[in-house]
Parts: sequence; C-alpha cells; structure tokens
Amino acid sequence: MRARCLPLAVAAALIAATGHAAPAAPGKPDDPETARLRAQVESLRTERDLASGKGFYLRLDASRQRLALMLQGVALDDYAASALEWGVPEVLFVNRAPGVDWDAVGFSKGRLEPERERDRIEVVAPPPVASPSPGAGPNEPVAEGPSPPPVPKSAEEAYSVPSPYRVVFAGGVALEVRAKGHGERNRSVFRRFADALGLRLSDLGTALGIGAKERVRLRVTLDAEDAASLYRSLPPDVGLVVVGLPAI
Amino acid sequence: MSAEPDTPSPAGPEPSPVETAVAITARLADRLKALLGRRRVQVAAGSLLFLLLALAGTGWDFRTLPPPGADVSVSPPAKPASREAARLLAERQRLETALRRKVPRGPWIVIDQTHNRLRLMRGDDTVLEAPCSAGSGMVLKEGSGGRVWVFDTPRGRFQVLAKLANPVWRKPDWAFVEEGERIPKDPGDRLEYGSLGEYALYFGNGYMIHGTLYERLLGRPVSHGCVRLGREPLREVYRQAPLGTPVYIY
Repeated sequence: MRARCLPLAVAAALIAATGHAAPAAPGKPDDPETARLRAQVESLRTERDLASGKGFYLRLDASRQRLALMLQGVALDDYAASALEWGVPEVLFVNRAPGVDWDAVGFSKGRLEPERERDRIEVVAPPPVASPSPGAGPNEPVAEGPSPPPVPKSAEEAYSVPSPYRVVFAGGVALEVRAKGHGERNRSVFRRFADALGLRLSDLGTALGIGAKERVRLRVTLDAEDAASLYRSLPPDVGLVVVGLPAI
Repeated sequence: MSAEPDTPSPAGPEPSPVETAVAITARLADRLKALLGRRRVQVAAGSLLFLLLALAGTGWDFRTLPPPGADVSVSPPAKPASREAARLLAERQRLETALRRKVPRGPWIVIDQTHNRLRLMRGDDTVLEAPCSAGSGMVLKEGSGGRVWVFDTPRGRFQVLAKLANPVWRKPDWAFVEEGERIPKDPGDRLEYGSLGEYALYFGNGYMIHGTLYERLLGRPVSHGCVRLGREPLREVYRQAPLGTPVYIY
C-alpha cells in the first residue's frame, strides 16, 4: 500500500512545486511602450483613488517637475521644482534599490520631520460679572472688562522652517524638500546646525534599517519661499502620488 | 683696559628657523614611526579608517531625474503596438478625463488658513486674491474644569450653503464666556448687529466667510474659526459665488 502511494505523493509534490515556481500566467514580457502605458495607468488609478477620498495629498509630477498640494483632484497650491532626485539607502557603497513597482501604490499618513511646532495661546475666561445696572450711581465701582487676548502671530512669525525637511509616508517613502535661495526661514544658526546633524544621523539610521523603514526618498528642490510656505501649511496625514517618473 | 673679545658659545652657532623646523619634523616623524609600530595603535587607526569609509559610504545614494524639457511622457503612438497597449491607452484616457472632471467648472474658493489668504478661482484662473483672517487656534477655558473651546478653522472641502446680506450674529456661549459675561437666557440677547459686515457665506457647522470690523488685522489668524474678509473682496465673493460653490480650506 505504502509503495503504491509513494509515486503519487512524489507526483503531487512535483506538481505543487512546479505550481509555486512558475508564475500563474507567465505571458510575454511587455514591450517598452506597453510597460510605460501600464505604469501610467497604475499611477492614474492611484491618483483617482486619492482624489476620491477626503484627505489632502501631494502630487509630484516628475516629468513637469512640479509639486502640488491637492484635495479631491483640485490643485490648491502648486510649486515649481528646480531639481528632482531619487534616492535609495546605501550601506558601505552598496545601494538597496526597491522593486520596479515601488510607486504602484499611493502613499498615505505623511508627517513632517522635523515636526512643525504650534504654540497655542491658552486663555482662561474671567469669572462672569453682571453688567452694571442702569440705575448705578457714578461713584459706584464698575468691574473692569477682561483684557483683550494677545494677537496671534502670523505664520511667518510662528513657524521657523528647517531646510531640508521631510514628509515621511507610511510605506517607506519620504519626500525631502530642499530650499534654494534665501527666504524668510526664521530659524537660528544653532537650530540649523542641530537640524543638519539630526538629519545626518537619521540618514545613517534609515540606511542601516534602524527605526523607520525607508525604501525610497524623493528629493525636491523648491524656491525658498515655496519650501517655507509648504512647510507652514502642509495639512496633517497628507498622501502622495508620484506621476511621470521615468524608468529608473 | 680693553674690551673682552666675543667668545663662541660651546653649543655652536644658533640654528636657522628652517633647520629648527626640519629638526622638529624629523623628531615628530620618528615619534610617529615609533607610535605606528605599536600593534594597538595600528588596530585603532585601521578601525578609524574603516569607520570613516563606512560612514562615507553609508547613507543615501541620489540620482538626478530628468530636468523639465527632457519630457518622459512621450505622446501615444498613432497606432498602439498591441491589443493590450490599445486597452491601456483607452484606460488612460478614461482616467485622465475622470480626474479632469474633478476641477470645478464654475467659481470655487480656496482658503490658505496658515497664510490667511483667500482666492476666488474660476477654472484654472485666479479671479481674486485677498488677505483674510482664519481661526486663531486659541484655546479658551471656562474657569476650572469648565468647557473648552479651540478656535480652529476646519480643513477640507465644503460648499456655500447659504448667502446672507446684512447678517446678524447669534452669539454662541463662548462669546459671552470670553468676555466674562453671563450667558443670557433670552435668545434675543444673543443677537448682535453689524459685527459680521455686509455679507456672510455660510459653509456649514456654524462657519462662515463674513466681513469684519477689524480690517487692520486681516492677514493674521485672529478669528474664532470663521473666515473674515475685507469689505471689497467680500462684496466680490458674494457677487460671484453662487450657492453650492465649493470651498477648499487647507
């Protein structure tokens, strides 16, 4: 009985192994034109999905070198990039390139690094006082009204802008924004030095796979004013779609 | 008595600065040679060199993507190469059209609450841009353990739900709490005339685009969540934005 079952078991194992080894539909590999179209359709689908949601997202158009803040398919702010780079982690001069379809999906939950700090003014309301009665005499003391709250700072005063800064997305992709030229950054020399050191250490960490797993980093150089504007106004949990990326 | 003749010093003549430098260098070289001869130092130097090399070669490797002009999105061929390419081409056109349709055809309003700017758009064109005042982000606390209000302007997509000329403000509780006044029991005591300016465009949840008595503060985040606009731009927005106009706030 056992002898008769053995060939069957071997055959079954062989069939299973063949099934695992070979792709379900090997097909003919795409010609370059079809592959390019397929990639474009994929990124458009990703963009459609993001545009159908309620969240904000960044749209990086690599072919036009533009970065836009979008909501439901509408560009709310659009920045021209003067340079665009694509980076991968490197350990001992050996880089770790991701798979070709790394950008086939949209990225979400983008957060700023360094984080944008917002100081909120807290006011404790004064205890309520009854308004003076019309019959009160002129010598009767009248309760003073509360002092007006301080005027909040403008965005330029409130937020200092690091350069570079990053928007780190879930899924191992980050967008690094560098500023070109001189803009109002409202950041001290000491903080800039601390930023640079922090970023270098974080680069080492991410390259070595310590902490957040980053696979790809897109580096965009914007005009200093635009870079600062984006940092100050970027909504939380922003998404990202990359279009027009050449084959790398 | 004659002066004593100069006698040469036993150490010989003073060495020139060049000779001194050469001597110091030679001495340093000898010491370095002796130091490097030690195994422990060799190991330390080798490790340091390796560490520096490793640091130099560890991090991120960047390559530049084509600059504008080197257009990578080549126009589609007149005749697709295969049936699959034809299908993908049709799919691409369908998706592009669907995305293009997302942009409102009529007027739409964009508010950058960080920089306190409002733009009235029509298609891709900016019809009007003006400073506004969005929420201050201030936190108001009602005494100890009382209610808490945060004066933020909401982000997202909204639409003009109502348009009002000469709006009357029905003051909410926080307006009295902030002023240190008792909350009135009579609803009529909540009404305030003139403080919202000539017009108001209501976009939901109690938020409006309206006028202000404090035009000098436009451009700063000073409101309680509504969007304040100057008299002239408000007139223009009121005139051009019908009911249903999309309002995007970021």
